[in-house]
Amino acid sequence: MAGGFRRPSVLPGFGLTFGFTTFFLSALVLLPLAALVVKASSLTWHEFVAVMLDERAVASYRLSFGAALVAAVVNAVFGFVVAWSLVRYDFPGRRLVDAVIDLPFALPTAVSGIALATVFSPTGWLGQKLALVGVQVAYTWLGVVVALILIGLPFVVRSVQPALVEVQRDLEDAAETLGASPWQVFRRIVLPAVMPAVLTGFTLAFARGIGEYGSVVFISGNLPFKTEITPLLIVIKLEQYDYDAAAALGFIMLAMSFVMLFAINLVQAWGRRRQVAAGR
Amino acid sequence: MSIALDQVTKRYQSVPVVNDVTLSIEQGEFLVLLGPSGSGKSTLLRAIAGLTEIDHGRVSLHGRDVTGVPAREREVGFVFQQYALFRHMSVAANIEFALRVRGVRAAERRARRKELLRLVALEGMDERLPSELSGGQQQRIAVARALAHRPQVLLMDEPFGALDAKIREELRRTIRQIQRELGIATILVTHDQEEAFALADRIGVMHQGRLLECGPPDELYSRPATRFVATFLGAANLLLGYRAPEGVRFTAGTSTDAPPREVVAVLRPEEVELATTASSVQSTFVGYGEVQEVLFGGSIERLRVRMPADGPVPAAPGRDDGTGSLMEVSRTLPQQRLFPVAVGDRVAVGARRVHVLPTPISSFTILAPDDARMRTLRDTPFLATLAERMQTRVASSTGEACRVPAGMPVVSTGTGSAAQVEGLMRQGAERLLCLPPGALPPDHVLIFVQEAAAQDATLAVAASLLRHIPAEAVYLGIYPEDGPEQSRTAALRELLDLRNTALERHGLDMRTELRAGDATTELLRQLVAHERSMLVIGQGSPDSLDWSGLAQLLEGPVQRPVLVVCSAGVARGGVR
Repeated sequence: MAGGFRRPSVLPGFGLTFGFTTFFLSALVLLPLAALVVKASSLTWHEFVAVMLDERAVASYRLSFGAALVAAVVNAVFGFVVAWSLVRYDFPGRRLVDAVIDLPFALPTAVSGIALATVFSPTGWLGQKLALVGVQVAYTWLGVVVALILIGLPFVVRSVQPALVEVQRDLEDAAETLGASPWQVFRRIVLPAVMPAVLTGFTLAFARGIGEYGSVVFISGNLPFKTEITPLLIVIKLEQYDYDAAAALGFIMLAMSFVMLFAINLVQAWGRRRQVAAGR
Repeated sequence: MSIALDQVTKRYQSVPVVNDVTLSIEQGEFLVLLGPSGSGKSTLLRAIAGLTEIDHGRVSLHGRDVTGVPAREREVGFVFQQYALFRHMSVAANIEFALRVRGVRAAERRARRKELLRLVALEGMDERLPSELSGGQQQRIAVARALAHRPQVLLMDEPFGALDAKIREELRRTIRQIQRELGIATILVTHDQEEAFALADRIGVMHQGRLLECGPPDELYSRPATRFVATFLGAANLLLGYRAPEGVRFTAGTSTDAPPREVVAVLRPEEVELATTASSVQSTFVGYGEVQEVLFGGSIERLRVRMPADGPVPAAPGRDDGTGSLMEVSRTLPQQRLFPVAVGDRVAVGARRVHVLPTPISSFTILAPDDARMRTLRDTPFLATLAERMQTRVASSTGEACRVPAGMPVVSTGTGSAAQVEGLMRQGAERLLCLPPGALPPDHVLIFVQEAAAQDATLAVAASLLRHIPAEAVYLGIYPEDGPEQSRTAALRELLDLRNTALERHGLDMRTELRAGDATTELLRQLVAHERSMLVIGQGSPDSLDWSGLAQLLEGPVQRPVLVVCSAGVARGGVR
């Protein structure tokens, strides 16, 4: 084909599908976001900077992005482990565990937040035990991380599972007969094969963590400068009828999230190119 | 010895998939393991590589016992059916993998890689990714990769399975050449007999987890020992024939004084002669048939000739649907020119060369007083399984008349059975199977020989049985309780010798046990101890058999399948 992006495909109606894509993206994603930008732009540059660099706001960015990052990293590691045990081992109750993984998807986030707060509060089942060793989870930044881990876990597990299924056992056997130790098999054969999937899961969990509100507000304690996440700050601004500041904060979150997700997507695309070149 | 396997057994959920395989491969030898899918050949190969743990037995590589050694320390090269190349690595990284994990320096790795790429004729492909290569090229890279660390043995699991015919043949040649050049002991697993013939120094045929036979290709083809190998390795017509002074004949004789000695004859399609009349057949006349199908296949013409129902009897069940059996024939061009035939022609069929299988069990004939009891015996799981596994015909004869049939007689246990057995034996029956109704296939076979003269024949029958039934074999030696101490040591030594003889002569691997006391009591005790046990009992002549003891076994409260062997001679047809 000369030039153009219209390529023949097994699915008919490129025009139709592309039309739908544009429509949905516009109506449901781009238009509301544009409204946000317009609203934010009603502030002067000075006012905008003041809202952006407000000490309380900066502290909340740090918590929101920091906790989301920590939770996503933890999920990437342990989500992989969970996916591994679900794919590679057959144990009684495997299907049940497999179903339980999806629960955080279905549960209203407020419910998980309240449940976590109950368990981790200083008088709760786990909080009591942890208090003995001097660790407090509820009403600290740790609580935020715990809530985000719960919310993000299914993203990693569900991304990694199919990739692990595809790793042929033959490859591991081949590496073993060639003299590779179990660690070398994992490091050189299994990990490269599932890395793109782990990264996808990580990105999804991270993105979800940045925007999470419902479960966090119940366990974080919401102390300004300490355990206050940006989404909560936005709600507070709204409650004070400070719509412009809320829109500005929203815009800032949007911009930062976009930059980070775009960067991760670039990394992934690079990884995928390698994978595609290697002809999965 | 490069590779030595000793009684290797692997079970999945207590079902043996590799059953008691003993085998050794010399330095530089190319062995092909051939068998249908599910015969356990791939599992055996993986067991040698250490990718599958075994439940019993030992694996040695170059004299080193590696039974418990993990795969990465066994120094084997393994080639997989689906290549199993690392897709995220270049060809160079793939080939160097084994050296890299061993910490070999880069310069040395590169040199070895160049050498290997030259060996598989893919120089200059270093930086390609596996996905940029064709299937044949990928498998060559897989071979190069498997050889990088200079393994002591090369194991290949259906390496050509995913390739098309032309590339397959080319790669076959390359592999044979490389194997010769390196002088490396090699085992290749395949289900393709053509491939086996093209590559092997020796072929091992596996079936249902057992290594049935192992030998040079030409020998296995011309002198197979089992029905399975005869039919799996090339096409074969298996017929029941009778031993006659002039060889094997396929038409019933007239003399009725002795029971005819039935044998299983292998008649290869190319050894079948077609002629116009019986008198113009130059070889052994088999019978008249009607040409049913003619397939022209270039240099060879393949025919199927329908033999009438009263003609030669096929040895395998199911080949006979009441309208006679089909005879496979193949003829060369000159033969076709001499005697052209067309569908519908009546032809005389002759057998130029037949090979008699050394199997002591040619067919079964159920003897029962009436139809109902005949059917009960025929549907006994023991007999049904055995006949199916052995591909043996089961005939039947009802009525009170007690004539010895050509096949092995099968009678029911219970009241009166001992007398019936005695009658048949005195008339000349040499082997006889007594089954309690509903008997299951055994998992424990007890072998007992009362008279040394019958030993060989008894072991031959037991070996033939155990080749097809996955059961434990125990040879029981019994000496009188009140005998002198020396008799015990002598008996022990004798048992040890016997164990070796059984393994060498008959390929029968059995446990031996020595007991003191009365034979019948001890046998009964052992049979009761195992629910699914059976007895193979041997005796030189009917006169010296302990009939009252046998009556206890056949008519007592606990009845188990009993196979009575009554023969003073050596196992017949021992061509092996």
